[in-house]
Amino acid sequence: MEKDTLLLLEKVNQLRLTDEERDDVLAFFENADKDLQALNAIDTEQVERMVHVLPIATVVREDVAKKLFTRDDLQKGAPETMDGYWQVPRVVE
Amino acid sequence: MKFETVIGLEVHVEMATKSKIFCSCSAEFGGEQNDHVCPACCGMPGMLPIVNKNVVNLGMTAGMMLNCHINRTTTFDKKSYYYPDLPAAYQTTQWFAPVAVNGTVEIETAKGKKAIRIKQIHMEEDAGKLVHDDWTDTTLVDFNRTSVPLIEIVSQPDLSSAEEVVAYLERLRSLLRFARVSDCRMEQGSMRCDVNLSVRPEGTTTLGVRTEMKNMNSLSAIVRAIEYETARHIDAIENGTEELVQETRRWDDIKGKSFAMRSKETAGDYRYFPDPNVMPIVIDDAWYDHIKATLPEFPEVKKARYTGELGLSDYDAGILTDSRALCDCFEAALAVCGSAKEAANWLISDCMNVLNRRQMTADQLTVNGAALGELIRLVTDGKVGRGNAKKILEAMFDADIAPAKYAEENGFIVSNDTGLIEKVIKEAIAADPKAVADFKGGKEKALMALFGKCMKQLKGNCDPQVLRTLLIDEINKA
Repeated sequence: MEKDTLLLLEKVNQLRLTDEERDDVLAFFENADKDLQALNAIDTEQVERMVHVLPIATVVREDVAKKLFTRDDLQKGAPETMDGYWQVPRVVE
Repeated sequence: MKFETVIGLEVHVEMATKSKIFCSCSAEFGGEQNDHVCPACCGMPGMLPIVNKNVVNLGMTAGMMLNCHINRTTTFDKKSYYYPDLPAAYQTTQWFAPVAVNGTVEIETAKGKKAIRIKQIHMEEDAGKLVHDDWTDTTLVDFNRTSVPLIEIVSQPDLSSAEEVVAYLERLRSLLRFARVSDCRMEQGSMRCDVNLSVRPEGTTTLGVRTEMKNMNSLSAIVRAIEYETARHIDAIENGTEELVQETRRWDDIKGKSFAMRSKETAGDYRYFPDPNVMPIVIDDAWYDHIKATLPEFPEVKKARYTGELGLSDYDAGILTDSRALCDCFEAALAVCGSAKEAANWLISDCMNVLNRRQMTADQLTVNGAALGELIRLVTDGKVGRGNAKKILEAMFDADIAPAKYAEENGFIVSNDTGLIEKVIKEAIAADPKAVADFKGGKEKALMALFGKCMKQLKGNCDPQVLRTLLIDEINKA
C-alpha cells in the first residue's frame, strides 16, 4: 500500500494515525501483499467460488410487519435524545 | 472538437414490502420518528438478520423484467460505511453475487430505439434519515427508513444524453410499477438516482474523468444537472478552467450548479466482505418458476392488444397501461360487461375523477373490477341511470359492494312506471308554462330545463330516452 492510499483511507474513515502507526500499517500491508501474491499465483479457474464456510442455505421469513419494541424501550440506553430522535454530534460541516 | 457524454446510472428503488429486509419492523413510508424500529435495524450488538422472502421475490421479479440472468445462489456482503444514518457502521448489501446480472432495457427517444445494458441488480438495506438541528447544533437521527429494502439497478455507461436518461428512468419506472416491485415515487424518495458522468472526444473509446451526482430525485433536476455537468467537463477540457477529479458532487437545483462533496472512495475503501450472519440464498427451480409465472404482460404488449384486439384508441390504451391497477380493473370489468369502450370510459373518466378528488394515484385504485363491470351493465341495460351509477361507483371506493343489490336497497333502480312519469311531467308543465311556450317557440334549452326538473323529481330513476319522448308528447298536447 502506498502512503497516499493510507492517507485517503484515514480521511474517508475519519481516522488520524501518528507517523509511527502509519509505518506499522504500511509494513503490515507490505507483508500481507506478499502473502496475497502467493495466493494469487494459484490457479483457481476451475474451482467453484466458496460462498459460505458452511454448506447451508439461509432461512427466509414471510413479509409480515410486527411491532415488537417501542421507541422508549430502545432509547433507554441512549446518551442523548430529543423529540423521539437519537441526538448525536453534528455530522455535517 | 466535438465531445460525447458518457453516462451510467445507479438507480435505487424502495421495494413495496410490508416489512423491512432483515427484521419485521414496518417498511411503511413516514410515521412518527423512530416508530418503526427494533434492536436489529438499530444496529444493536448481537442482533442477527433474517431475510424477508418477499425481498428476494421482488429482486428476482425486477431482474426478470429487465431481462437479467438470475443468480440462483445469491449472497449478502458487508460494506463498511461510517455515518450515523446506518448504526451498524456497515450496510448489508450484495457485492460478490448479486441477485441479477447482465440485463438489457430498451428505450426509445427521438433518435430511435437503443438497448441499455444492465450490469447488475442488487438487494440492500436503506439508510436512516438525519435532521440537522441548527438550534442545538446537533444531528437528530430517525431510523424508520433504516433497513427498508432497496434494489440498486446499475447500468453500464451506455447513456449519452439527458433525453436518454429520462427515457431510461421512465422505462424502469413503468416496468417496476407494473410488476409491483415498487411504487417508484420520486417525490417520496422511493426512486432515487446517482448519475455517473464523463465526457470524451467523439469517436474515442477511453473514458474521461468521471464524477458522480448522488440522490437525484426529480427528472427535471436530473436533466438540468446532466446539462450543467456536461458543460463543466467540456469547459475544463477545452479551456482548462479547472482540473477534473474523480469525485462525488452535490447538485443544488436552486443555484443550478454542482458542488464537490468528497473525494470518491473506491470499492476497496468500502472493504466489502461476505456477511457471515446471512447464509447464502439458494433459489431452487420451484421458487424460480413461481416468480417467472407471476410476471405481468409487459405494458407495451398490453397496449398493443388493447388497441388491436379490443379496438381502444391509442390515447385510452396509453392511460390504462400506465398503471397495473387500472389494467387489472379494466380487464375484470370487461370480462363482465363485454364492452371495452364502456369499461375504458368508466375507468378513465369516472374512476379517475374520484381518484383525483380523493388525491389518490391510479395505482391506489382498489375498486373491484368485476363489480365495475356489473355496474356498467346496469347502466347499458337501462336499469340504473348514469347519475345514480356515479353515486354507486363512489360507494364502491369505500366498500366492496354488489352494485345491483346496492342500487335496489338505495332506490336507484329505473322505474318502468309510466303512470308515475306522466304524473311528474304534467306537474312540471303546469308549474312552468313559460318553458312550454319557449320550447314551442323553438328554444331547445327550455326542454332541457323541464327534463332536468322531471329527472330530479324521479330521483334519476328513469330512462332518459323514455322521459324525453313522453315529455315532448305531453308538451305537444298542452
